[in-house]
Amino acid sequence: MSHDALALPPLRTEIKLAEETFLTDDFLRQLINVGEVDVLVGLATHNNAKTIGAIVQSIQSCILRSYTRDRVVIINADGGSRDGTPELVTGISIDDLRPLSNLHSLRTLHSISTQYANTPSSTAALRTILAAAELLRAKACVVMSPESPSIDGEWISKLLHPVRYDSFDLATPTYRRHKFEGLLITNLLYPMTRALYGLRIREPYMQDFGFSGRLGSEFLSQNAWADGSGEDGIELRLTLAAITGKRRICQSFLGQKEHVERRSADLVPALRQTVGPMFATLESTFSTWSSVTGSQPVPTFGPEHEVSLGPLRVNRKRLRQMFSSGVAELETVFHSILAPSTLVELQRIARLEEEDFVYPAELWVKTVYEFAASYQKSVINRDHIIQALAPLFRGRVLTFLTENRNGTAEDVENNIEGLCLEFERLKPYLLQMWETRE
Amino acid sequence: MKEMIISELSQALHELARGFAHYLPRLIVMLILAFAGWAVAYFVKVLLRSLLRLLRFDKLSENTGASQLLNKAALPPASEVLSRFVFWLVWLGFILVGVSVLGILGLQEQVAKFFFFLPRLFTALFILFFGLLAAGFFSRAALLAAVNANVPSPRMLSFAVRSIIIVFVLSIVFEELGLAEQTMLVAFGIVFGALMLGLALAFGIGGRNLAQGFLERRFLRPKKEEGEDELSAL
Amino acid sequence: MPLSQDVLWYKDAIIYQVHVRTFYDSNGDGIGDFQGLEQKLGYLQELGVNAIWLMPFFPSPLRDDGYDIADYETVHSGYGTLEDFRKVLESAHNRGIRIIIEMVLNHTSDQHPWFQESRSSRDNPRRDWYVWSDTDERYKGTRIIFLDTEKSNWAWDPISKAYYWHRFFSHQPDLNYDNPAVREQMWKVMSFWLEMGVDGFRLDAVPYLLEREGTNCENLPETHEVLKEFRRRLDEQFPGRMLLAEANQWPADLRPYFGDGDEFHMAFHFPLMPRMFMGLKLEDRKPITEILQQTPEIPPPCQWSLFLRNHDELTLEMVTDMERDYMYDTYAENKTMRLNLGIRRRLAPLLENDRRRIELMNGLLMSLPGTPIVYYGDEIGMGDNINLGDRNGVRTPMQWSGGWNAGFSTAEPDRLYAPLIQNPVYGYPAVNVLSQLGSEHSLLRWMQRMIAVRASTSVFGRGSIEFLRPANHRILAYVRRLGNEAVLAVNNLSGAAQAVELDLKKYKGNILIEMSGKNMFPRVGDQPYLLTLGPYQFFWFRLRRI
Repeated sequence: MSHDALALPPLRTEIKLAEETFLTDDFLRQLINVGEVDVLVGLATHNNAKTIGAIVQSIQSCILRSYTRDRVVIINADGGSRDGTPELVTGISIDDLRPLSNLHSLRTLHSISTQYANTPSSTAALRTILAAAELLRAKACVVMSPESPSIDGEWISKLLHPVRYDSFDLATPTYRRHKFEGLLITNLLYPMTRALYGLRIREPYMQDFGFSGRLGSEFLSQNAWADGSGEDGIELRLTLAAITGKRRICQSFLGQKEHVERRSADLVPALRQTVGPMFATLESTFSTWSSVTGSQPVPTFGPEHEVSLGPLRVNRKRLRQMFSSGVAELETVFHSILAPSTLVELQRIARLEEEDFVYPAELWVKTVYEFAASYQKSVINRDHIIQALAPLFRGRVLTFLTENRNGTAEDVENNIEGLCLEFERLKPYLLQMWETRE
Repeated sequence: MKEMIISELSQALHELARGFAHYLPRLIVMLILAFAGWAVAYFVKVLLRSLLRLLRFDKLSENTGASQLLNKAALPPASEVLSRFVFWLVWLGFILVGVSVLGILGLQEQVAKFFFFLPRLFTALFILFFGLLAAGFFSRAALLAAVNANVPSPRMLSFAVRSIIIVFVLSIVFEELGLAEQTMLVAFGIVFGALMLGLALAFGIGGRNLAQGFLERRFLRPKKEEGEDELSAL
Repeated sequence: MPLSQDVLWYKDAIIYQVHVRTFYDSNGDGIGDFQGLEQKLGYLQELGVNAIWLMPFFPSPLRDDGYDIADYETVHSGYGTLEDFRKVLESAHNRGIRIIIEMVLNHTSDQHPWFQESRSSRDNPRRDWYVWSDTDERYKGTRIIFLDTEKSNWAWDPISKAYYWHRFFSHQPDLNYDNPAVREQMWKVMSFWLEMGVDGFRLDAVPYLLEREGTNCENLPETHEVLKEFRRRLDEQFPGRMLLAEANQWPADLRPYFGDGDEFHMAFHFPLMPRMFMGLKLEDRKPITEILQQTPEIPPPCQWSLFLRNHDELTLEMVTDMERDYMYDTYAENKTMRLNLGIRRRLAPLLENDRRRIELMNGLLMSLPGTPIVYYGDEIGMGDNINLGDRNGVRTPMQWSGGWNAGFSTAEPDRLYAPLIQNPVYGYPAVNVLSQLGSEHSLLRWMQRMIAVRASTSVFGRGSIEFLRPANHRILAYVRRLGNEAVLAVNNLSGAAQAVELDLKKYKGNILIEMSGKNMFPRVGDQPYLLTLGPYQFFWFRLRRI
């Protein structure tokens, strides 16, 4: 009898292992050759040939300057580039296979690339990078956005150093940005993360970040991958995992974040990648966020943030029109999601003249919280809930632009701070909806 | 004459009595069946209801949006609806068996037809249920996509998608029930509906980003003013 | 066992480096001597070495371990007599062991009669045998080698009131090789020993023989002229003898010392040695393959001489600043271990007495192209004493047994020329020849076996080398080839087990035979050859086509 009981578990493990092989044989072979490393630099690319060359050069020079003695590997998870991106990355390897260069390095530097799929997915890419980090027992990892034209070697140091030498588990970035850049972050992600979890992490959705091998392994094993719920927004999930795992988190000021050309159609995917996972994790992290009140700053290297000013031409009419038509056309959808009083109020402001238009902070916070609660209850398809937020967000953006049109950096910060406090103040409202969900 | 009348009468009474005596046990059997049927149906209903609760069927139907549909029709939760439906079905089955016991000619044929028809009915109801769900889902998806792509008249589009899917679903349902040949309209609906559903699916799931991009290019580009900066969400 | 008649004998040699003072004391005066050495020649024969490099044994004030010679044509009385030396020579030759001795060309001791005469007056006939000057402003572009003790290459002589030139300590005045009489005299000295039968010279500090204004006074063409002249005379009068250059230089600067095969037979490969230690610590073959890539081809009769440790500090002159800092931080954290630009430690303590690493490093020493030199005591894993000044910590008495004075001498311990190693790990009760001979698994027994394996083929000493460069940078793999013979060496520089895929397509069809156990490994096919190696493990495979 004891025999049988002993015989069962290994069988199950075998099955699980068989299912878990998402790394290609070739990539595994490369990892074996790399062996144990101290530092892993991850890049998730897809047709980034224009920018990646300069980025990997600066990574290489940073490693040669500041991490001479560390065993470093550069891992590129590529989503099927056809412009030679992987070759640019692997080309910066330093080893004895290439003709002698004037680069002074103590060690071999492996720069390897693997194609995880034919279609880009930041989740699959990061999963590949995390798996590599675990297999290589990397102590500190840094992931860099492959499209920031302004990246320099210092960025890597700034994100790596706290993890490598100050035993932080996560180093999130802060940037110098235009006041109207990253509006979803300033108007939703930052204030809501802050209100929910009590930590003032300026960029909870990270494009450049550093993390410890420990956090990476822990996150990888949480296995939110298999059920598809971890499909989007892996970057934000990692932040949340660090928060709820009570890991040491810090921020590092990197520098100027260049504007990356985006289209307004990118808003819904952006919401899916950020607000989706944010809402989705609320249920599993309830015990963490339900007891938090107020918020604390996190240790920050360099300034907490910097804001640049300057003109930005925005089609306000169109924002206004998309908001109003959204409120009108989606009435039936909003009936399912929003509280009646909130919907009435939205319909009221939708009818306002453009110069009188204001989407007050309190109403915005209530809107977001009601969306979060409805998402949790799955009143309609969850993706539809996220999509339905887009027109309302446009309305909020319009108000934010109006309020800060002539604002100085300080004014903008105060405005954001006010919104944050509103999110914190109204948190009991979310809790109340949460508790009456059945 | 009088005797004849009496004898006829008594014979008729006799026959009536005999007939009555002949039918009475059957009637009793029928009533027993009906009663037992009720009991069995009730038991099945209770069993099914607790089973569905155990399986979190309501949660499932919530996720697919079915509960919304029921809410709108002021119906109880999905598990309740389903178990009630099964209750009536089972009971009706028993009653019909009882009726057939009565041995009334013609009626028996109808009862047999009913049992023959039962699986088709189930399939049809099944198709209808999920068809309506799909109609709701895709119409809302179309609505949201249209609103976010700033396409004019999103509700019209949404309504069109819903109508097409419902027509399509109904045609399948009628087909399943064996009523299809009766209406040319439905046949037309099948063809048209299939075509439009295909398009809706392609735009709705297969390439929602592509479709969005297409719609945007088609409708938005000309409106964009010169030198306008796009907002950056992240 | 007679000596081989091959004039290229130095290519197959395994050289044992020893100072007669440190080896064995036969007369109980606390100092090792020639009679003692003669008695221990059997030990060296058993070890498998076929050449001994004897460090300076000439009369000397011993202010630089004998490199300050006061008389070139006899032996230091403390070590015995010239007759004793002759006996060593004869006895060694009978055992098939050749003797290489030191020849310090560049300078003498200031106690040497030549210098005494030279300084006695400005018009002495030997005045011009040394480099004199009225100013210390000449040859400004010349670096100072002993940075820790010397401030200038010029020293003031109060007797003749002039400056004399010295590249090393100020008590070691440089001979003036511009003077034909000096050159003639030095050849006479060399002939003296060659006639006696010595098989070769290690020529000390050869880059510095001549001085020219406006240069760094190293590796000058005129210096090469002098050396070539010595070589010509050697070949004419004493064929089959060998010259070994000590020139701590970059490979490209070393290359001229081989000339067209008409200057030195051998030269030390100084830059390789620290890089072997560095590669081991980094667990990365890059430093080793890189320096070997930069090493120029040498004429066919010439040979590199390789070593892990010697009587000097582990020199870090031939590395970059970054590499030196790394070596210091990883191998000499304790600052007292550092001396000049190097680390004054023995092999075993450098490798933390890790048997696997000691074996790996010896494996590299014996399989890379060149003639290996084993420093006395390293074959049993002797320790050092960093509390002794200068480089004396690595020159303590040989540990023969766990008994009185480690079996080195019967003298009172206080009379020993240097204290024995006493600590619990490396002390003579723990590390000695006698106990290691008693165990089949001791380092000494292992060394004997490896030397025998190496001596079983001349491919190690004479073969070409081709690096395989597998993608796993922890693996250093190369094929040594000589004629039809091929040996594959695979070294795991890492402390963790490794898998490696070797591209052996060229050798398809060969069977691998591991050389120490003579065991077969699978045949080489079309696929990359997969090998797994344990921590710091290495394999030598003979490639055989059957």
